[in-house]
Amino acid sequence: MRLAPAVFLGGTVGTGLRLGIDQALPHADTAFPVSTLVVNTIGALMLGWLVAGLWTRPGLPPWLKAAVGAGVLGSFTTYSTVMVSLVALGSAGFPALGWVYLAATLLLGFGAAALGLRLGNRLRHRPLPTIPDAGRTL
Amino acid sequence: MSVWLAVSVLVAGGAAAVVRFLVSRALPVGPGRLPLGVLIVNVTGSLIGGVVLGLAERAAVSEDVQLILLTGVCGGLTTFSTWSVETVELALTGRWRAGIVNLIGTLLLGFLVCAAGYLLSR
Repeated sequence: MRLAPAVFLGGTVGTGLRLGIDQALPHADTAFPVSTLVVNTIGALMLGWLVAGLWTRPGLPPWLKAAVGAGVLGSFTTYSTVMVSLVALGSAGFPALGWVYLAATLLLGFGAAALGLRLGNRLRHRPLPTIPDAGRTL
Repeated sequence: MSVWLAVSVLVAGGAAAVVRFLVSRALPVGPGRLPLGVLIVNVTGSLIGGVVLGLAERAAVSEDVQLILLTGVCGGLTTFSTWSVETVELALTGRWRAGIVNLIGTLLLGFLVCAAGYLLSR
């Protein structure tokens, strides 16, 4: 509960960024939802990169993880909008476009998450090797 | 878009993010286990989204309220980044079954409740 204010602030930032991209890339209910695909791909890439990399480092304050992870990136990306678009496309008579959108979301989104985890791994915290007998034999 | 509408969407998104955070905190993920908290918020948000889509179709909610509910509440409550990263992590650590269940289960449940909410409210 102590971290709630950090998540709230991050959440407003993430929602604001998504709203901005929605406004910049508007689409009709019966058209391909480009903006959601863009935010979800970028958000998955960044979260994967952080989770595998920076967040493995000791001493990182919990509020920072909460604000950026659950807050900014959690709210920047959206799952419900994907489902709403699929239902809207299906009900408007464009089920094929819905399938293409779903395939693109899974391919790009999950591909971005995997790529982010891989890139983040390079920044993973690796403790220095310890020498068990140091002090006695050296 | 008016400033007040934009602020309302942002505040709704921030508050919904806190709800998502608290739900996933209340249901911590064990190693290799299904991330149940994210599943719950994603399915719940999809249900609300479907209901709002149905209400919007018969003009029962104004465009401003739609934006606050869909972009703010549902967008802030649900998340794609955590879902995808946690699913890929399950697969990468050899927990294929949990990863596939998390992928297919979230998709099926999310779509079904969204469609049901839409069909019942339109």
